[in-house]
Amino acid sequence: MMSLKQRVFSLAVLLLVLGLALAACGSKATSTPAPAATQAPAATEAPAATAAPKPVTIEVYYPVAVDAPIAKILNGYIADFEKANPNITVKPVFSGGYGDVKTTIQTTIEGGGKPPVLAVMLAADLYDLVNAGYVVPLDDFIKAMPNGSAYINDFFPAFMANSRYDGKIWSIPFQRSVVALYYNADLFQQEGIQPPNSWQALAEAAQKLTIPNKRWGIEWPSGWPYWLFQPLAIGSGQNIVKSPTEVVFNDPKVIAAVQYYIDLSHKYQAMPEGVQKNWGNAPADFAKGAAAMIVHSSGSLSGILSQAKFKVGVMAVPGKAPGTYATVTGGGNFYMLKGATPEQQQAAWKFIEFITQPKYAADFSIQTGYIATRKSAYDTDAMKAYIAKVPQAGQLKDMLQYAGAELSCMNLGKVRNIFHKYLQAAYNGQMTPEEAMQKAQQEADKALEMFK
Amino acid sequence: MSAAAPPLSHRKAPKWLPYLLVSPTLVIVLVFTAWPTVQAVYMSFFRQYLNFAKFRTPTFIGLHNYRELFTSPDFLQVLKNTAIYVAGTVPASIVLAFLFALLVNRAVKGIGLARLGFFYPTILPMVSAATIWMFFFTPDYGLFNSLLETLGYHGPENWLGNPHLALLAVMIVAIWKNAGYLMIFYLAGLQNLPEDVFEAASLDGASWWTQLWKIAFPLLRRTTLFVSTIAIIDAFQVVDHIFVMTQGGPSGASTVLLYYLWQVRFEDQNVGLASALTVVLIVIMLAITITNFVLSEREGA
Repeated sequence: MMSLKQRVFSLAVLLLVLGLALAACGSKATSTPAPAATQAPAATEAPAATAAPKPVTIEVYYPVAVDAPIAKILNGYIADFEKANPNITVKPVFSGGYGDVKTTIQTTIEGGGKPPVLAVMLAADLYDLVNAGYVVPLDDFIKAMPNGSAYINDFFPAFMANSRYDGKIWSIPFQRSVVALYYNADLFQQEGIQPPNSWQALAEAAQKLTIPNKRWGIEWPSGWPYWLFQPLAIGSGQNIVKSPTEVVFNDPKVIAAVQYYIDLSHKYQAMPEGVQKNWGNAPADFAKGAAAMIVHSSGSLSGILSQAKFKVGVMAVPGKAPGTYATVTGGGNFYMLKGATPEQQQAAWKFIEFITQPKYAADFSIQTGYIATRKSAYDTDAMKAYIAKVPQAGQLKDMLQYAGAELSCMNLGKVRNIFHKYLQAAYNGQMTPEEAMQKAQQEADKALEMFK
Repeated sequence: MSAAAPPLSHRKAPKWLPYLLVSPTLVIVLVFTAWPTVQAVYMSFFRQYLNFAKFRTPTFIGLHNYRELFTSPDFLQVLKNTAIYVAGTVPASIVLAFLFALLVNRAVKGIGLARLGFFYPTILPMVSAATIWMFFFTPDYGLFNSLLETLGYHGPENWLGNPHLALLAVMIVAIWKNAGYLMIFYLAGLQNLPEDVFEAASLDGASWWTQLWKIAFPLLRRTTLFVSTIAIIDAFQVVDHIFVMTQGGPSGASTVLLYYLWQVRFEDQNVGLASALTVVLIVIMLAITITNFVLSEREGA
């Protein structure tokens, strides 16, 4: 039996343990990612006597769930940057996909925490990010450059399409891609088929190359369908987005594009029926010969080239009218987030400038398969040598002339989900293309109404 | 220790002591459960969009969010999907769990391996499991279609893209994932059953089936109750595989309540509507928990 003293003692210990546990829980709950990390921890390292710039630490969020070993490549660039700027420490945070990065930043800001200084987020998320007040405009930094407008004009205009809003520039292109049509050039030659230059020619080529139960003429993923659909709409003569508050789903030309996709399976029997959940498999199917053509991201080029044992052709998606082509841009840009100190913002801009230099833009493109964002990157020796070896990389760049703007508007999440719902309903034959697109238009108009 | 203590010293313990002792738990429950619930109820009466400056400040709109929910065909579809998902996965995983437990509750050589086999899906993170299953469900050459073909069925192939099969596909993954986990509880239950009862039954000539159905199963009633509770909660709360496999599609065919809540909150950034959805989810969970509690009390008596 315990004495009273012993009991009080054990009680005290118990309380202490509970208190510690509680404190641990509490601090875990309130410490949203960054705060401590953003205060320069290296303060003591800088010799106080010299006039060296004050040490600054910036955090940068990257999505890693993309088609390349991003983390390894970026860590190399960061090391170069820190060597050139000894007072700046860059802390990269690699997390999930684009959605995860956005959600993390959203919850951090709304929870009253400190977001990272820089993040790579979808170019198409522009309006949501600006309207939510998460990001800062970059014009002042650009103006402060000795050659600011030349810097901006060196980026491909198609990649800058989703950077401007309200007369300001909000993001700088970084890892960008386009939709490409990949074709098995050996098969084309065998069958005497020319690279298709119209919808009709594409359908006929696909039909001719189909061998039932063995090879599809074409695979065209549609599990998350708006992006790969857009080249069809653009090639039909009407992109699905017109302005930040206006989408065009029920135009006869868009409906014709939906019908064409369905025809590839139903009329030509050249493509799997209905919604195709094969984003991940399509490049492998193509490389092993189970599909003669696929429509996919330009980011899949290096993966395909390393697997395919035949000559791989890439081109823009043929349009409806003979001799027309279409594609659409995609991918992520650098955004600067609110809440950083002026020193951190300066450091962050320096980092953007550094990593978008032609040399790094070219290297990033060569290593990942993304399209280099700047024209001058294609003048570097490294890029010239690469294109001499892999001409497809140059062809992808040339497709930018046919590129339309990616679906980007106010209330994007909602509008995109509406479009997906009805586009898939049409693909699966639950509605006619006409009926589906009319309904999509109605619902989207309602979702955009109050944002006007 | 207090039971054995003399009544005198017992009376000396300060009255506030018990409150102090429960206070950590209480604080945690208040901060992380009660307060967010209150906040969700409150916010469900407001309009607030985080993706537009004009609507960032909440405006009171009464029951509008609830009206919007219950007149939305999307939400009714989501409720229907959720009902099918829960009703389909919970009983199936429980029955399988019980069968697995019976199978591995034997002292045979190598039984550990069998137990590991059944339990293995539990160790796998849901996202990895879903990724593996995506390949099983692949059209043309996926494992599932190959299996069906060997059985002579050249049937629907496009599991995840077909609006009539997508929900079933994610349910199959959930059952496969959960059955092994729930098996552990039945296995523990079975091993704790008194052997003499079964011996006596055997002497009386009761068949294996009678023993199982009339003795083991009733004795395991408590376990079943516990297992069903966590299975139901899991069914509402685990949607990782939907993110990986179908993104709720095609056309919302595999969207369940929690996934929809995520979409409304983080894609649409519609805080008011998301709060109303949270309230609906809480009410459903509360109803199920209370029903379960009442049932268990009745059986306990």
